[in-house]
Amino acid sequence: MIAIFKELIVSSGLVSLTGGNLIMWLVSFVLIYLAIKKQYEPLLLLPIAFGILVVNLPLTFLMEPEHGLIWFFYHYGIENDIIPPLIFLGLGAMIDFGPLIANPKTLLLGAGAQVGLYVTFFAAILFGFDLREAASIAIIGGADGPTTIYLTSKLAPQLLGATAVSAYAYMALVPIIQPPMMKLLTTDHERKIVMSKLRPVSRLQKICFPIISAMTIMLLVPASAPLISMLMMGNLFKESGVVERLTKASSNELMNIVTIFLGLSVGATMTATTFLNPKVLFIFFLGLFAFIISTASGLLMAKFMNLFLKDKINPLIGAAGVSAVPMAARCVHKVGSEANRRNYLLMHAMGPNVAGVIGTVVAAAILLKNLG
Amino acid sequence: MTDWSKVFEVFGSGIVGVYLVMLLLQILTQLSTRIIDMIESRNQSGDTAVKPPVTDDKGKV
Amino acid sequence: MPELLAPIAGNVWKILIAVGDKVELDDEVIILEALKMETPIYCDDSGTITEIRVKEGDAVNEGDVLAVIG
Repeated sequence: MIAIFKELIVSSGLVSLTGGNLIMWLVSFVLIYLAIKKQYEPLLLLPIAFGILVVNLPLTFLMEPEHGLIWFFYHYGIENDIIPPLIFLGLGAMIDFGPLIANPKTLLLGAGAQVGLYVTFFAAILFGFDLREAASIAIIGGADGPTTIYLTSKLAPQLLGATAVSAYAYMALVPIIQPPMMKLLTTDHERKIVMSKLRPVSRLQKICFPIISAMTIMLLVPASAPLISMLMMGNLFKESGVVERLTKASSNELMNIVTIFLGLSVGATMTATTFLNPKVLFIFFLGLFAFIISTASGLLMAKFMNLFLKDKINPLIGAAGVSAVPMAARCVHKVGSEANRRNYLLMHAMGPNVAGVIGTVVAAAILLKNLG
Repeated sequence: MTDWSKVFEVFGSGIVGVYLVMLLLQILTQLSTRIIDMIESRNQSGDTAVKPPVTDDKGKV
Repeated sequence: MPELLAPIAGNVWKILIAVGDKVELDDEVIILEALKMETPIYCDDSGTITEIRVKEGDAVNEGDVLAVIG
């Protein structure tokens, strides 16, 4: 009888627990709290947090190569680059490129914000990260979760958990991170600028845009193909108006399904041994730095464009050039309406916001081409 | 050790590349908008009964 | 007669006025919802509301008339 009891204890995970596991439980509990109570990107943070918890229960071998359940999700979904492009398919089926087509200049703002990403790349190297790790950290500044996961899983898979969590966490914190920089770099007068009404965009234009941009981007940067092809096909589904079932499947069912596997697998990469590493703190710090510098470079790009434009743009919309759709656009709208309550920048900010998604993918693809 | 020439190469080619792609996309978008505007205004001034005017939906995600 | 136009596309979230109400410049009259964000619309003129052209839940386009102020 006692022997059976002893056997149960010895074969349980309890004896194999390490201090690191306990710390990871705490990390997981904090993330679960943030997801449920504060609703910081709960759709992703909750499966990530639960993934962290279960993978830090000893002897479960959920991430054991060729055996563990979550390892299969991770291997087939993320290592083989299936899930991030599928998320992009859903994203494409939800995005409205209308404000971007109405004001194509905002494409340059989407490029402007990516400058911050390369500045961070530089900074990360000064901190002692190698080139591939530095690129994975820099992409956090693009504020695009799937792209961050896509690039990190190819260049520096050991950092995947940290870069993914910091990308999603900072996206949720956009309303706190961005406004100080926005106020610092713009004058009250500039924030008050009311932009002229966006021109109407016809259905034909909206149908042509994903086709033209898919061809242009993929011809110039073939490495962007997995993400851009899915994004633009999703958008073509939506704008064509004839395949509503496919649009809905991409943006609802399929997207929700892969989100579960994405979150769980990313969380499960965070075992105590890989995550509890001084490097991770630097990643969170550099990720925040990337976010702030991308915001700044977007704003400065908008101010620079204003030097040449007759019809001035409100420089605040440059801050929406970091992707984070639509959090960054909402944030711009809010700061704009604080300066002038008749200022409705939301739709104007959606242009650079969706341009930022394209810009981040292009930037990631170029990094991948140079370092992959 | 860190290969600084590679760092600068990645840095430079990245920034130039992103701007180039976005600029080209901007030009192509403007061009296609202009062409589509022309086609649509011709359709409208011609036989409106054959092709109903295209309505745009509300700019929402 | 001055018209109150929608400055942004979205759904009508709340209507804070009724026909016959007196409004002042800068009064908050209607709240629109776009991208899950509430956007208050302020009055451009003082006067009396003579007509409200939308109801709560309606989808409006940029430039649509929301109300008429007499």
